[in-house]
Amino acid sequence: MASIVRPSLLRQACSAAPTARMLSTRASINASQRIAQPSFVRSAVPTPMKAAAFHASAKRAILPPGPQHVEGTANDPVPVPPAEPTHGSYHWTFERILAAGLIPLTVAPFAAGTQHPVLDATLCASLLIHSHIGFDSMVIDYIPKKRFPKSRALFTWGLRAGTVVVAIGLYEFETNDVGLTEAIKRVWTA
Amino acid sequence: MLAQTITQQSLRRMAIQRPLAMPMAKFASPAAIATNSQLMQTRPVATRNIKPEEGYKILVEQRKNRPVAPHLTIYKPQMTSIGSGLTRITGAVLSGGFYIFGAAYLAAPLVGWHLESASLAAAFGSLPVIAKVLIKSVAAFPFTYHCINGVRHLIWDMGKSFTNRQIQIGGWAAFGLSGISAVYLALAW
Repeated sequence: MASIVRPSLLRQACSAAPTARMLSTRASINASQRIAQPSFVRSAVPTPMKAAAFHASAKRAILPPGPQHVEGTANDPVPVPPAEPTHGSYHWTFERILAAGLIPLTVAPFAAGTQHPVLDATLCASLLIHSHIGFDSMVIDYIPKKRFPKSRALFTWGLRAGTVVVAIGLYEFETNDVGLTEAIKRVWTA
Repeated sequence: MLAQTITQQSLRRMAIQRPLAMPMAKFASPAAIATNSQLMQTRPVATRNIKPEEGYKILVEQRKNRPVAPHLTIYKPQMTSIGSGLTRITGAVLSGGFYIFGAAYLAAPLVGWHLESASLAAAFGSLPVIAKVLIKSVAAFPFTYHCINGVRHLIWDMGKSFTNRQIQIGGWAAFGLSGISAVYLALAW
Protein backbone atom coordinates (compact mmCIF):
# COMPACT_ATOMS: atom_id res chain seq x y z
CA MET A 1 0.00 0.00 0.00
CA ALA A 2 2.81 2.35 -0.65
CA SER A 3 0.89 3.99 -3.48
CA ILE A 4 -0.99 6.28 -1.11
CA VAL A 5 1.92 8.17 0.26
CA ARG A 6 4.89 8.72 -2.07
CA PRO A 7 7.02 11.42 -0.59
CA SER A 8 10.08 10.40 -2.59
CA LEU A 9 8.64 11.58 -5.90
CA LEU A 10 7.52 14.90 -4.49
CA ARG A 11 10.80 15.30 -2.64
CA GLN A 12 12.64 14.93 -5.95
CA ALA A 13 10.39 17.54 -7.52
CA CYS A 14 10.89 19.84 -4.56
CA SER A 15 14.66 19.53 -4.59
CA ALA A 16 14.83 19.74 -8.39
CA ALA A 17 12.60 22.78 -8.65
CA PRO A 18 15.10 25.35 -7.40
CA THR A 19 17.91 24.24 -9.76
CA ALA A 20 15.53 23.92 -12.76
CA ARG A 21 14.29 27.36 -12.02
CA MET A 22 17.78 28.71 -12.70
CA LEU A 23 17.47 27.58 -16.34
CA SER A 24 13.82 28.48 -16.66
CA THR A 25 12.64 31.05 -19.12
CA ARG A 26 9.57 31.94 -17.07
CA ALA A 27 9.72 35.39 -15.68
CA SER A 28 7.25 34.96 -12.84
CA ILE A 29 9.52 33.94 -10.00
CA ASN A 30 8.94 35.43 -6.61
CA ALA A 31 12.03 37.15 -5.28
CA SER A 32 11.49 35.70 -1.83
CA GLN A 33 11.48 32.17 -3.25
CA ARG A 34 14.66 32.57 -5.27
CA ILE A 35 17.63 30.73 -3.86
CA ALA A 36 20.80 32.80 -3.57
CA GLN A 37 22.91 32.03 -6.66
CA PRO A 38 25.11 34.32 -8.75
CA SER A 39 23.06 35.83 -11.58
CA PHE A 40 25.55 34.91 -14.34
CA VAL A 41 24.75 31.18 -13.90
CA ARG A 42 21.45 31.47 -15.77
CA SER A 43 22.89 33.11 -18.84
CA ALA A 44 25.95 30.81 -18.94
CA VAL A 45 23.85 27.73 -19.86
CA PRO A 46 24.13 27.22 -23.64
CA THR A 47 21.12 26.46 -25.84
CA PRO A 48 22.19 22.89 -26.74
CA MET A 49 22.23 22.09 -23.07
CA LYS A 50 18.71 23.40 -22.76
CA ALA A 51 17.68 21.26 -25.74
CA ALA A 52 19.51 18.26 -24.27
CA ALA A 53 17.11 18.37 -21.34
CA PHE A 54 14.63 16.59 -23.62
CA HIS A 55 16.97 13.70 -24.45
CA ALA A 56 16.71 10.53 -22.41
CA SER A 57 19.92 8.79 -23.54
CA ALA A 58 23.24 9.72 -25.09
CA LYS A 59 23.35 10.27 -28.83
CA ARG A 60 25.54 7.75 -30.60
CA ALA A 61 25.35 7.60 -34.38
CA ILE A 62 26.85 4.21 -35.25
CA LEU A 63 26.18 4.54 -38.96
CA PRO A 64 24.04 7.61 -39.67
CA PRO A 65 21.23 6.84 -42.11
CA GLY A 66 22.17 9.62 -44.50
CA PRO A 67 20.16 12.57 -45.81
CA GLN A 68 16.43 12.00 -46.18
CA HIS A 69 13.71 14.02 -47.79
CA VAL A 70 9.95 13.63 -47.72
CA GLU A 71 8.06 13.22 -51.00
CA GLY A 72 4.72 14.96 -50.64
CA THR A 73 3.43 15.46 -47.11
CA ALA A 74 4.06 13.34 -44.06
CA ASN A 75 0.62 11.75 -44.44
CA ASP A 76 1.12 10.46 -47.99
CA PRO A 77 2.08 6.80 -48.41
CA VAL A 78 5.63 6.01 -49.49
CA PRO A 79 5.69 5.72 -53.29
CA VAL A 80 6.29 2.14 -54.45
CA PRO A 81 8.80 1.91 -57.32
CA PRO A 82 7.34 0.48 -60.56
CA ALA A 83 7.98 -3.22 -61.13
CA GLU A 84 9.92 -4.30 -64.23
CA PRO A 85 10.64 -7.94 -65.01
CA THR A 86 13.95 -7.12 -66.70
CA HIS A 87 15.23 -5.83 -63.39
CA GLY A 88 13.19 -8.31 -61.39
CA SER A 89 12.40 -11.90 -62.21
CA TYR A 90 14.30 -12.12 -65.53
CA HIS A 91 17.40 -10.71 -63.86
CA TRP A 92 17.06 -13.23 -61.04
CA THR A 93 16.66 -16.16 -63.42
CA PHE A 94 19.62 -15.07 -65.52
CA GLU A 95 21.78 -14.67 -62.43
CA ARG A 96 20.97 -18.18 -61.18
CA ILE A 97 21.47 -19.79 -64.57
CA LEU A 98 24.86 -18.09 -64.87
CA ALA A 99 25.88 -19.18 -61.38
CA ALA A 100 24.81 -22.75 -62.09
CA GLY A 101 26.76 -22.66 -65.34
CA LEU A 102 29.85 -21.50 -63.51
CA ILE A 103 30.06 -24.74 -61.56
CA PRO A 104 31.04 -27.03 -64.47
CA LEU A 105 33.16 -24.24 -65.96
CA THR A 106 35.17 -24.05 -62.72
CA VAL A 107 35.55 -27.80 -62.35
CA ALA A 108 36.60 -28.31 -66.00
CA PRO A 109 40.14 -26.81 -65.78
CA PHE A 110 40.88 -29.09 -62.84
CA ALA A 111 39.67 -32.08 -64.82
CA ALA A 112 40.66 -31.35 -68.42
CA GLY A 113 43.72 -29.19 -68.01
CA THR A 114 44.42 -25.53 -68.56
CA GLN A 115 45.46 -25.47 -72.22
CA HIS A 116 42.04 -24.83 -73.71
CA PRO A 117 41.59 -21.18 -74.73
CA VAL A 118 37.88 -21.41 -75.65
CA LEU A 119 37.02 -22.96 -72.30
CA ASP A 120 39.20 -20.38 -70.60
CA ALA A 121 37.55 -17.50 -72.44
CA THR A 122 34.09 -18.79 -71.55
CA LEU A 123 35.10 -19.10 -67.92
CA CYS A 124 36.56 -15.57 -67.88
CA ALA A 125 33.48 -14.04 -69.49
CA SER A 126 31.09 -15.87 -67.15
CA LEU A 127 33.20 -14.93 -64.14
CA LEU A 128 33.22 -11.31 -65.24
CA ILE A 129 29.45 -11.11 -65.68
CA HIS A 130 28.94 -12.97 -62.37
CA SER A 131 31.21 -10.46 -60.61
CA HIS A 132 29.41 -7.56 -62.27
CA ILE A 133 26.03 -8.82 -61.10
CA GLY A 134 27.40 -9.31 -57.59
CA PHE A 135 28.87 -5.83 -57.40
CA ASP A 136 25.67 -4.38 -58.86
CA SER A 137 23.67 -6.08 -56.11
CA MET A 138 25.95 -4.51 -53.52
CA VAL A 139 25.55 -1.05 -55.08
CA ILE A 140 21.77 -1.43 -55.15
CA ASP A 141 21.67 -2.64 -51.56
CA TYR A 142 23.96 -0.10 -49.96
CA ILE A 143 23.36 3.07 -51.98
CA PRO A 144 19.57 3.66 -52.16
CA LYS A 145 18.54 5.87 -55.06
CA LYS A 146 16.16 8.03 -53.02
CA ARG A 147 18.74 9.07 -50.48
CA PHE A 148 21.97 9.18 -52.51
CA PRO A 149 20.89 9.78 -56.12
CA LYS A 150 24.23 11.12 -57.35
CA SER A 151 26.41 8.55 -55.56
CA ARG A 152 24.18 5.78 -56.84
CA ALA A 153 24.50 7.00 -60.44
CA LEU A 154 28.26 7.44 -60.00
CA PHE A 155 28.81 3.94 -58.66
CA THR A 156 26.47 2.30 -61.17
CA TRP A 157 28.18 3.84 -64.16
CA GLY A 158 31.60 3.47 -62.58
CA LEU A 159 30.96 -0.24 -62.17
CA ARG A 160 29.87 -0.56 -65.80
CA ALA A 161 32.98 1.30 -66.96
CA GLY A 162 35.13 -0.89 -64.72
CA THR A 163 33.59 -4.05 -66.15
CA VAL A 164 34.33 -2.88 -69.70
CA VAL A 165 37.94 -2.06 -68.76
CA VAL A 166 38.44 -5.46 -67.11
CA ALA A 167 36.87 -7.17 -70.12
CA ILE A 168 39.43 -5.51 -72.38
CA GLY A 169 42.22 -6.39 -69.96
CA LEU A 170 41.14 -10.05 -69.81
CA TYR A 171 40.95 -10.19 -73.60
CA GLU A 172 44.48 -8.84 -73.81
CA PHE A 173 45.64 -11.32 -71.17
CA GLU A 174 43.99 -14.17 -73.00
CA THR A 175 45.47 -13.17 -76.35
CA ASN A 176 49.00 -12.06 -75.48
CA ASP A 177 49.56 -14.28 -72.47
CA VAL A 178 48.66 -17.83 -71.50
CA GLY A 179 45.11 -17.31 -70.21
CA LEU A 180 43.59 -17.18 -66.73
CA THR A 181 43.60 -20.83 -65.72
CA GLU A 182 47.09 -21.49 -67.03
CA ALA A 183 48.44 -18.36 -65.30
CA ILE A 184 46.85 -19.37 -61.99
CA LYS A 185 48.30 -22.83 -62.35
CA ARG A 186 51.79 -21.47 -63.08
CA VAL A 187 51.72 -19.10 -60.10
CA TRP A 188 50.19 -21.72 -57.81
CA THR A 189 52.75 -24.39 -58.57
CA ALA A 190 55.73 -22.03 -58.70
CA MET B 1 -7.17 -0.43 3.77
CA LEU B 2 -10.00 1.53 5.38
CA ALA B 3 -7.69 3.30 7.80
CA GLN B 4 -5.34 4.27 4.97
CA THR B 5 -8.25 5.54 2.84
CA ILE B 6 -9.48 7.70 5.67
CA THR B 7 -5.98 9.03 6.30
CA GLN B 8 -5.58 9.85 2.62
CA GLN B 9 -8.91 11.70 2.46
CA SER B 10 -8.19 13.79 5.55
CA LEU B 11 -4.71 14.64 4.28
CA ARG B 12 -6.25 15.80 1.00
CA ARG B 13 -8.76 17.98 2.84
CA MET B 14 -5.96 19.59 4.84
CA ALA B 15 -3.86 20.06 1.71
CA ILE B 16 -6.70 21.87 -0.11
CA GLN B 17 -7.11 24.26 2.83
CA ARG B 18 -3.40 25.05 3.20
CA PRO B 19 -1.70 24.08 -0.03
CA LEU B 20 1.62 25.84 0.50
CA ALA B 21 2.47 24.43 3.91
CA MET B 22 5.67 22.39 3.50
CA PRO B 23 4.60 19.29 5.44
CA MET B 24 1.35 19.31 3.49
CA ALA B 25 3.23 19.70 0.23
CA LYS B 26 4.73 16.23 0.73
CA PHE B 27 1.30 14.65 0.94
CA ALA B 28 -0.53 17.18 -1.20
CA SER B 29 -3.37 16.49 -3.63
CA PRO B 30 -2.74 16.72 -7.36
CA ALA B 31 -4.66 19.99 -7.56
CA ALA B 32 -2.40 21.51 -4.92
CA ILE B 33 0.71 20.39 -6.78
CA ALA B 34 -0.57 21.61 -10.13
CA THR B 35 -1.26 25.10 -8.86
CA ASN B 36 1.92 25.39 -6.85
CA SER B 37 4.64 27.11 -8.84
CA GLN B 38 7.29 25.87 -6.41
CA LEU B 39 6.59 22.22 -7.15
CA MET B 40 5.54 22.40 -10.79
CA GLN B 41 7.97 20.76 -13.25
CA THR B 42 9.68 23.23 -15.50
CA ARG B 43 11.26 22.52 -18.84
CA PRO B 44 14.18 24.78 -19.57
CA VAL B 45 13.23 25.15 -23.26
CA ALA B 46 10.96 27.85 -24.60
CA THR B 47 8.16 27.35 -27.15
CA ARG B 48 6.77 29.75 -29.70
CA ASN B 49 3.93 29.90 -32.21
CA ILE B 50 4.75 29.15 -35.86
CA LYS B 51 2.76 28.60 -39.04
CA PRO B 52 1.95 25.03 -40.19
CA GLU B 53 4.30 25.30 -43.20
CA GLU B 54 7.24 26.24 -41.01
CA GLY B 55 6.33 23.46 -38.61
CA TYR B 56 6.32 21.00 -41.50
CA LYS B 57 9.78 22.18 -42.52
CA ILE B 58 11.02 21.61 -38.99
CA LEU B 59 9.52 18.11 -39.11
CA VAL B 60 11.37 17.35 -42.34
CA GLU B 61 14.64 18.60 -40.84
CA GLN B 62 14.12 16.64 -37.66
CA ARG B 63 13.62 13.43 -39.61
CA LYS B 64 17.27 13.73 -40.61
CA ASN B 65 18.21 13.70 -36.93
CA ARG B 66 16.32 10.54 -36.06
CA PRO B 67 18.32 8.04 -34.02
CA VAL B 68 19.29 4.75 -35.61
CA ALA B 69 18.06 1.55 -33.98
CA PRO B 70 20.98 -0.67 -32.92
CA HIS B 71 21.67 -3.57 -35.26
CA LEU B 72 25.14 -5.10 -35.30
CA THR B 73 25.69 -4.20 -31.65
CA ILE B 74 22.70 -6.12 -30.34
CA TYR B 75 22.03 -9.05 -32.65
CA LYS B 76 23.46 -12.43 -31.86
CA PRO B 77 25.67 -13.66 -34.70
CA GLN B 78 23.81 -16.49 -36.41
CA MET B 79 24.67 -19.00 -39.10
CA THR B 80 22.24 -17.32 -41.50
CA SER B 81 23.48 -13.76 -41.15
CA ILE B 82 27.17 -14.54 -40.77
CA GLY B 83 27.09 -17.09 -43.60
CA SER B 84 25.32 -14.74 -45.94
CA GLY B 85 27.55 -11.81 -45.06
CA LEU B 86 30.68 -13.91 -45.47
CA THR B 87 29.49 -15.17 -48.86
CA ARG B 88 29.10 -11.60 -50.02
CA ILE B 89 32.39 -10.46 -48.52
CA THR B 90 34.39 -13.34 -50.02
CA GLY B 91 32.71 -12.73 -53.37
CA ALA B 92 33.58 -9.04 -53.20
CA VAL B 93 37.18 -9.80 -52.27
CA LEU B 94 37.61 -12.32 -55.09
CA SER B 95 35.89 -10.14 -57.67
CA GLY B 96 37.74 -7.07 -56.43
CA GLY B 97 41.04 -8.83 -56.96
CA PHE B 98 39.85 -10.04 -60.35
CA TYR B 99 38.90 -6.51 -61.41
CA ILE B 100 42.10 -4.99 -60.04
CA PHE B 101 44.20 -7.53 -61.92
CA GLY B 102 42.29 -6.94 -65.16
CA ALA B 103 42.68 -3.17 -64.94
CA ALA B 104 46.30 -3.35 -63.78
CA TYR B 105 47.24 -5.66 -66.66
CA LEU B 106 45.92 -3.03 -69.09
CA ALA B 107 47.74 -0.22 -67.29
CA ALA B 108 51.00 -2.12 -66.75
CA PRO B 109 52.79 -1.12 -70.00
CA LEU B 110 51.99 2.55 -69.34
CA VAL B 111 53.25 2.51 -65.75
CA GLY B 112 56.15 0.13 -66.16
CA TRP B 113 54.93 -2.87 -64.19
CA HIS B 114 55.46 -6.48 -65.23
CA LEU B 115 52.29 -8.47 -64.77
CA GLU B 116 52.82 -11.25 -67.30
CA SER B 117 52.25 -14.74 -66.05
CA ALA B 118 55.93 -15.55 -66.31
CA SER B 119 57.02 -12.66 -64.09
CA LEU B 120 54.21 -13.30 -61.63
CA ALA B 121 55.17 -16.95 -61.36
CA ALA B 122 58.84 -16.07 -60.92
CA ALA B 123 58.05 -13.51 -58.22
CA PHE B 124 55.81 -15.90 -56.33
CA GLY B 125 58.26 -18.75 -56.66
CA SER B 126 61.03 -16.75 -55.06
CA LEU B 127 59.15 -16.51 -51.75
CA PRO B 128 59.96 -18.92 -48.90
CA VAL B 129 57.89 -22.10 -48.83
CA ILE B 130 55.98 -21.28 -45.67
CA ALA B 131 54.99 -17.89 -47.09
CA LYS B 132 53.80 -19.54 -50.28
CA VAL B 133 51.68 -22.08 -48.38
CA LEU B 134 50.21 -19.37 -46.17
CA ILE B 135 49.38 -17.05 -49.03
CA LYS B 136 47.88 -19.89 -51.02
CA SER B 137 45.64 -21.08 -48.18
CA VAL B 138 44.56 -17.51 -47.37
CA ALA B 139 43.74 -16.96 -51.04
CA ALA B 140 42.04 -20.33 -51.50
CA PHE B 141 39.64 -20.09 -48.55
CA PRO B 142 37.46 -17.25 -49.96
CA PHE B 143 37.30 -19.12 -53.25
CA THR B 144 36.25 -22.45 -51.75
CA TYR B 145 33.85 -20.87 -49.24
CA HIS B 146 32.17 -18.74 -51.89
CA CYS B 147 31.83 -21.70 -54.26
CA ILE B 148 30.38 -24.05 -51.64
CA ASN B 149 27.99 -21.41 -50.30
CA GLY B 150 27.02 -20.60 -53.87
CA VAL B 151 25.99 -24.22 -54.33
CA ARG B 152 23.97 -23.99 -51.11
CA HIS B 153 22.23 -20.87 -52.42
CA LEU B 154 21.29 -22.67 -55.63
CA ILE B 155 19.91 -25.58 -53.59
CA TRP B 156 17.78 -23.11 -51.60
CA ASP B 157 16.61 -21.49 -54.83
CA MET B 158 15.19 -24.86 -55.85
CA GLY B 159 13.21 -24.80 -52.61
CA LYS B 160 15.07 -27.66 -50.94
CA SER B 161 16.77 -27.91 -47.57
CA PHE B 162 15.11 -24.85 -46.09
CA THR B 163 14.45 -25.87 -42.48
CA ASN B 164 16.40 -24.29 -39.65
CA ARG B 165 18.21 -27.50 -38.78
CA GLN B 166 19.26 -28.20 -42.34
CA ILE B 167 20.59 -24.69 -42.73
CA GLN B 168 22.58 -24.96 -39.51
CA ILE B 169 24.11 -28.29 -40.50
CA GLY B 170 24.77 -27.06 -44.05
CA GLY B 171 26.40 -23.90 -42.76
CA TRP B 172 28.86 -25.71 -40.52
CA ALA B 173 29.50 -28.29 -43.23
CA ALA B 174 30.27 -25.47 -45.67
CA PHE B 175 32.77 -23.91 -43.28
CA GLY B 176 34.49 -27.20 -42.60
CA LEU B 177 34.53 -28.35 -46.20
CA SER B 178 35.85 -25.04 -47.50
CA GLY B 179 38.58 -24.93 -44.87
CA ILE B 180 39.71 -28.46 -45.68
CA SER B 181 39.57 -27.78 -49.43
CA ALA B 182 41.57 -24.59 -49.06
CA VAL B 183 44.30 -26.33 -47.10
CA TYR B 184 44.30 -29.20 -49.60
CA LEU B 185 44.57 -26.82 -52.54
CA ALA B 186 47.37 -24.93 -50.83
CA LEU B 187 49.41 -28.00 -49.95
CA ALA B 188 48.78 -30.51 -52.68
CA TRP B 189 48.90 -28.28 -55.76
